[in-house]
Amino acid sequence: MKEYLQVENLSFSYSRRKVLDKLTFGVRRSELVGVIGPNGAGKSTLLYLLAGLIVPESGKIVLGEKDTRFLSRRMWSQKVAMVFQEIPQNLELTSQEVITMGRFPHIGRWQREGDVDEEKVSWAMEITSTAVFSDRLFSELSGGEKQRVMIARALAQEPELLLLDEPTSHLDVLHQLEIMDILLDLRAAGVAIVSVFHDLNLVSQFCDKALLLKEGRMLSFGGVEEVMKAEEVEKLFGVEFLEATHPFSLRPFFMPLRRIKNETHRGRIHLICGGGSGSPLMRELLEAGFSLSLGVVNQLDSDEELARKLGIPVVQEKPFSPFSPSTMEEAYRLAQKADFIVIAPTYWGRGNLPNLDLAERLVLEGKAVLILEEALNPRLDYTEGAAQEKLKKIIEEGGEVIKDLSAYFSSS
Amino acid sequence: MNTRVKKGLTYLGFLALVLGSVFLAQGVGGGRYQLSHSLSLFFPSDLSPSEKIILFEIRLPRIVLSFLVGGSLSLGGAVLQGIFQNPLVDPYVLGISSGAALGAVIAILSGVYLGFFTVPLFAFSMALFSAFLVFYLGKIGKRFPLEVLLLAGIGVGFFFSALVSLGMFLAGEDLHQLFFWTMGGLWNSSWQEVKMILPFIVMGAPILFSFFRELNAFLLGEKVAESIGVEVEKVKKQLLFVVSLLVASAVAVSGVIGFVGLVVPHLVRLLGARDHRHLLPFSFLLGGGVLLWADTLARTILYPVELPVGIITSLLGAPFFIYLLRKRKKSL
Repeated sequence: MKEYLQVENLSFSYSRRKVLDKLTFGVRRSELVGVIGPNGAGKSTLLYLLAGLIVPESGKIVLGEKDTRFLSRRMWSQKVAMVFQEIPQNLELTSQEVITMGRFPHIGRWQREGDVDEEKVSWAMEITSTAVFSDRLFSELSGGEKQRVMIARALAQEPELLLLDEPTSHLDVLHQLEIMDILLDLRAAGVAIVSVFHDLNLVSQFCDKALLLKEGRMLSFGGVEEVMKAEEVEKLFGVEFLEATHPFSLRPFFMPLRRIKNETHRGRIHLICGGGSGSPLMRELLEAGFSLSLGVVNQLDSDEELARKLGIPVVQEKPFSPFSPSTMEEAYRLAQKADFIVIAPTYWGRGNLPNLDLAERLVLEGKAVLILEEALNPRLDYTEGAAQEKLKKIIEEGGEVIKDLSAYFSSS
Repeated sequence: MNTRVKKGLTYLGFLALVLGSVFLAQGVGGGRYQLSHSLSLFFPSDLSPSEKIILFEIRLPRIVLSFLVGGSLSLGGAVLQGIFQNPLVDPYVLGISSGAALGAVIAILSGVYLGFFTVPLFAFSMALFSAFLVFYLGKIGKRFPLEVLLLAGIGVGFFFSALVSLGMFLAGEDLHQLFFWTMGGLWNSSWQEVKMILPFIVMGAPILFSFFRELNAFLLGEKVAESIGVEVEKVKKQLLFVVSLLVASAVAVSGVIGFVGLVVPHLVRLLGARDHRHLLPFSFLLGGGVLLWADTLARTILYPVELPVGIITSLLGAPFFIYLLRKRKKSL
């Protein structure tokens, strides 16, 4: 199918500052494209250009094979509707009156609203479930209701391309999902949709394609699964993300980690724990301003569950299974990024013994390894002394035994 | 359908009120023609020649003129409040009042006489001149940013007012005439003035009414209005042009009458008409009615002395305006 919206080399400057630099992409009908990027990336500017509210400095916008340079304001509004980020306050008109305003580009100056207009307005109200409060004043509606009315107003324009600027910001989860449902319905109805989102997980969960925008440049554009990778997203926002797979949609899901790139922080700690031994440490260290990583732990381990809740990157092994070499390799790569390795007082068994090999490998490479004194307790050892051996070796190679983590870090 | 009938009835009711006002007002006044004779309006042959003159050449044109002037000012105010999205805007923001006053001062002091219409003509031309000056000063590139336009209006207004004051200071025996003109009044009304203002209303009012959708769209903000197909800058220009003509013509025949154009649109909104489809025509009707009654009061309250109607509208309008301000403080 041919692309409905084609953008070629689109650039825009605002008082000599390049806001958008040579964007090229296309959007088909029945396609939902999410635009993400940090503040000031030019996301709103892109929408304004697509809505014809500002004139491009150079480049081309084609809508349904029509070059928009030759489009009148009215014709443009018949094809493209936009939902803005700001919601008008103190608007003392009924929802229906507001929604009917969307018919503007279809009604002549000396013409009355006709049956077609009424039909389109009720279609818009049906899709957005706004009919129930059609007679209520806009100013008296809740945030979510107002946003739905604004979307209905845009739909009353019968757009072929719908633009939305952060339609879900300021809304709670339920209302965010309501809005996303509306967008999916519209996509099914054949509308091409381009929407800016604050929340990259809304893009990864619901959109067909993602457009990553940073400082006016398109970092990448394409199918969500291809484009939205942890490295890409990290590049975009300058924050580390943990990428996971959403359990239902199987789409990528991103959790920001505490660590802010290029910013001073107390350091990063890789925690070797399991069976709940790491849980008190995680809380303590996060609060003290460290960023953490964890592993290897088995899935369903209470430490693993807490780490996930706290957004700490974890290297996991299948439940109740010994750690495989490939998982260990993954843990090694993660632990390498840390400034300290901390070994928690964990029960040692054959399964998790490779974690001590990992610590040994790292201490040999010169990484600081801290062992909590309690971890040496023979009571914890279910390996007939193998764990004790390994721990002793680590200490010989430079591993430090400490009593209390917070005391250690507050003194150093 | 039911609401349509209701709206139709509201319009009819308003119209009836206005006609009733005209009927009552023509009967009120000093002089020989009294309310008890009112019905004679329909049987003019019963009247004496002098009564006929009072009725048809003095009172009726004055009533009609006051209605038209009040209507024009209120309609202009409603449209400008809609464009500027600012409830404190009155029809004189573009410097039209001070421009008109300056025109009148020039006409009266220079002693130029171009026939019966000399003063209104000067006032009208200067009013338009000041409006265009404000346009010109308020323009940035191809756009008319509203704040800039407002400030340009204030600047030009102050400058012209200073010239008016200077003129009044130097006026000598013409001061009384000037003073009356700047207060606003309808004592000079004749069918001539009605003829002068009528074409502007017949042309201008329907054009302004027809912009109700654009003005409603402005309620959502200029960006949204543009996105639904309103050519914001063009519409602003067109509306400001038509309003300038309408208000300038009103000021030219009546002087500067304050508060009608500011307060009446708010009154109509309070009555529940927020949609410009209804707000504009109702503002015209109610503005006309209000000025009609204010003028009736002005010419009767201290009879035989006649007050400038501007004093009445300001005395009644200002407290009401303050009331509005207090009531709507939260949303302003």
